[in-house]
Amino acid sequence: METISLTINGNKISCPEGQSILEAAEAHDIKIPKLCYHHSLKPFGACRLCLVEDEKTGKLYASCVTPAAPDMVIHTHSPQIIKHRRNIVLLMMAEHPESCIVCNKGNRCHLRLIAAELGIGENALYPMPNFAPLEQANPFITRDLSKCILCGKCIRADHELVCAGAIDYNSRGFNSRPVTLHELPLEQSSCTFCGTCVSICPTGALSAKVDFVGTPEKESTSICGFCGVGCSLDLGVAGNKVVDVNPSHLKNSVNDATLCVRGHFAHDFLNSEKRLTHPLIRHEDELVPTTWDDALESAATRILEIKKQHGPDSIGFLGSSKCSNEENYLFQKIARTLIQTNNVDNGGYTSGRLFLDLVDQRTDKAGRFNFFAGPLAGIEQAEVVFVLGAEPAHTAPVFDYYLKRSARKGLPLIVASHRETDLARDAASWIHPHGSSAAAHRTIDTFYLELINLISARLLTGEAVDSSFISRFTSGFEHYKEDLLSLDQEACMTKADLNSETISKAIDLLAGKKITFVVGDGLMLQRYGKEAMEALLNLALMTGSIGYNGAGFHVMSKENNLVGAWDMGTVPETLPGRLMIDSENDRRRWEEIWEAEIPKSRGLDLIQMVKSAEEGRLKALYIMGENPLRSLPQPDFILNSLKSLELIVAQDILCGETVEIADLVLPAAAFSEKAGSFTNMEGKIQCFSAAVPPPGQAKSDLEILGLLAEKLGAPGYKSNNEEIRKEISSTITSFSDAAACKHPIWIREETQTDESLVEEQIRFSPVTSSQDTERGDQYPFIALFGSLRFHLGSGTRTEQSARISDCDVKGEIEVSPTDAEKMSLVDSDRIRIRSAAGEIERDIRVNRTIEAGYIYIPTAFNSNDARNLLRLEPLLENDSSGWNSCPVSIEKAETAAVDK
Amino acid sequence: MKSTEIDWEKLADIIETHTQKKWGLIPLLQKVQERIGYIPPESIEAIAAALGLYPSQVQGVITFYAGFSTEPRGKCVLKVCRGTACHVKGGKSILRVIQKDLDLEEGETSPDYQFTLETAACLGACFLAPAMMVDREYYGKLNPTKVGSVIGEYRKQKGED
Repeated sequence: METISLTINGNKISCPEGQSILEAAEAHDIKIPKLCYHHSLKPFGACRLCLVEDEKTGKLYASCVTPAAPDMVIHTHSPQIIKHRRNIVLLMMAEHPESCIVCNKGNRCHLRLIAAELGIGENALYPMPNFAPLEQANPFITRDLSKCILCGKCIRADHELVCAGAIDYNSRGFNSRPVTLHELPLEQSSCTFCGTCVSICPTGALSAKVDFVGTPEKESTSICGFCGVGCSLDLGVAGNKVVDVNPSHLKNSVNDATLCVRGHFAHDFLNSEKRLTHPLIRHEDELVPTTWDDALESAATRILEIKKQHGPDSIGFLGSSKCSNEENYLFQKIARTLIQTNNVDNGGYTSGRLFLDLVDQRTDKAGRFNFFAGPLAGIEQAEVVFVLGAEPAHTAPVFDYYLKRSARKGLPLIVASHRETDLARDAASWIHPHGSSAAAHRTIDTFYLELINLISARLLTGEAVDSSFISRFTSGFEHYKEDLLSLDQEACMTKADLNSETISKAIDLLAGKKITFVVGDGLMLQRYGKEAMEALLNLALMTGSIGYNGAGFHVMSKENNLVGAWDMGTVPETLPGRLMIDSENDRRRWEEIWEAEIPKSRGLDLIQMVKSAEEGRLKALYIMGENPLRSLPQPDFILNSLKSLELIVAQDILCGETVEIADLVLPAAAFSEKAGSFTNMEGKIQCFSAAVPPPGQAKSDLEILGLLAEKLGAPGYKSNNEEIRKEISSTITSFSDAAACKHPIWIREETQTDESLVEEQIRFSPVTSSQDTERGDQYPFIALFGSLRFHLGSGTRTEQSARISDCDVKGEIEVSPTDAEKMSLVDSDRIRIRSAAGEIERDIRVNRTIEAGYIYIPTAFNSNDARNLLRLEPLLENDSSGWNSCPVSIEKAETAAVDK
Repeated sequence: MKSTEIDWEKLADIIETHTQKKWGLIPLLQKVQERIGYIPPESIEAIAAALGLYPSQVQGVITFYAGFSTEPRGKCVLKVCRGTACHVKGGKSILRVIQKDLDLEEGETSPDYQFTLETAACLGACFLAPAMMVDREYYGKLNPTKVGSVIGEYRKQKGED
């Protein structure tokens, strides 16, 4: 890459070849006004404000689209340029409504800023305002297109960054405006309400619906507390409240200029009336306010009493995949060293933690390479992406943007799913059951396992085998090869109800390439999830899809600190740093730092704790940041179990289902109100600090745990971030970078395999097949569960967001047109769905993306009533039917009384 | 009477011959307009899917060009020129005559879907001023009589169809 030198405003600068004049200027802090330029979008050249004058030729260039040439002499603010800029702005102002005084964009308006800088006063031009009707029916975005200056940023962001394609220019000239297909309101288009257009719009044409008027007092950077992508946010703060959220301006953040509807608009839950503000204690069946001292004293005393009476293992600790690393660390430390129990788990159990564990266990312990693919940006270097059972458009939208952007640039995507997901439409190959009704009875359980087996067998014979990788790093390949060769491929096809043309196409796309796998709940939370995962790991080993940039596994970690809670040991079988409890050496490392003994055997996980409570063996549960009564299946069973405990301490931010039955309630701070770090799905640790103080008397979970430790008899337990990080890094050396709090990367960056460390070899696991199970006719349909982008998890937080609750999407159940016709159902009809575990009622929507015989039920809506249909079965066990689907029957229900 | 039902098979046929070429959008739209008479808004999604574009992008191209119509038009589309030369040669009164004859305002289509009246900024046939275009035929050096006979011919022709 050659360097060119040119002169701008008398300064001699040099820049790499190919850069535009504008980029070169910005790199050297020379400011050029612009309205349509954005560093993440392709240069457009629409506004012409970035005009610069070339001294040698006298020509005017739009600097954003003109490449810098050697020996150019450029002036950015010559009199001629200023004259042109003024005219451009005057023309824009002539078409602009004269509502600056009342416009909510206020001082954030770029047009206003440029006009002010140019010193423009009265406009002598004839005003020709271009009025357009205000669009504000949806609860998220207000569109006042009379203020649109046609910079095109909203359209370009929609097409290039988030790839939703909801809007584009209509007409030309004076009448041209960005509109949706058929000029329908946004909520009737393919708009996902990510709000990227709102943040990028330079004028008040697009604005977020906020209660707040004007510009926030200050902006504070933070990390989003919703999904596992860990987007960087700019929180707009006014009056100690978070009033507005935008993507942060940081370079190299995971999300750059994008966000999703949750990250952008669901943050008003922080100001909900249901926030917990005072410690509460149960007195005669009611929760009454008390002081911090009394509450903590009561908690500590009662816990110690129960420990004395029933032993340490009668107490369980449920930590949070939403709380910070430091908080989870302190939480499990208290449980293990002060209470002496390994009964520690976190809510991540329900969203994929077990699979992270499974993959990690198979990872080479010498740390030579990692099954995990690492940074999301690696997708750009991937050769082919195989998406199984994942719907990132709804669970982790920003990840979806990465996939879609690369797909549009030519990256082959192979999507395997039961219904036609958003991604399936961009896929080069979509693999799905073909809807032969006999197979529908079987294909939920067996689909992924049989599919992966079939593909592995075909790739084996198709010579997609990386022999040098196999011989150097693995063992057991011969056995694996034999098993694959003796696989009955026809049986696989039938069991998974596959189409041979689709499979051949997929094989063609996969052969000879390093594969990037994206694995979601659809595969993980199913009956043969473990076996399917093992089969994928084998496939990765066979094709050598590890250790190359971009290749490997992306396990959809749906929660902001799912990975972090696991890393910090808030799990029953590992200690911080994923060290094993049942290894004496590993235990000793922490015992030395903590100067205490750690119990030797594995503790109870979430499901086991609930069952143990029901059996009367578990007596107390300390819950931090989780709402099991809303998130777990069989809520009646859960309620009984929890009620039979002698003590429930709930440390939480919102008054939810679990808090209401607790004995002690400790109000905690949400992520915007405290400091800490989260580890996102890439394994990257990101630090954040408080933007606003917690409401009322709420404290950060870290502070609460420190005070609790004190009451439990350990006053010296560090409860501030710096000291905790130091303590953690004494054993986990890679965490020491986090102490610098500079967005460090913890992913093992050595993604190239280091051949000199050949020691242990990774074994291929045995090839397994699924068992046929016939279901009775009592439940002829299969219900698939999944999330919609408006909610996260069980919806405890997102339901408290007024904007999310107001939007038109009510979680309608999706029914195929064939079934709807058979049962005489139309949109908005109400149906009753019954499973072996329970029943629910909900309205329907007829959708052709779902096959006959299946229905799709979005979770989190209606207080997450979907969980009533599932059984509380542990995941990863062979006869567990998983939590992603279940057999159901459906019938038309009487229309419910008109209700919200 | 022009049917407002769309012949989906015909549409699928046309799309088939133009798939997988991003730059084939305008020829495809022209073909659709030619064979079906207009571009049905309901066809936008099918066209977009076939070419790998967003539906909103296809709509953008359609609305950009005055030549594309998303509403059914008459079998006969009259385009009266309102360019400089035609104006000077009395194009405005020609337009008025046609409006009266067909009982149509500019942009309207007759209820029996026989005629649509449009104007063009310039037909590029200034030596024939005042001029008009009917479908693809140019008619120049017009006066009220000529206009009347041209329209009459088309009326007869379409009546025989």
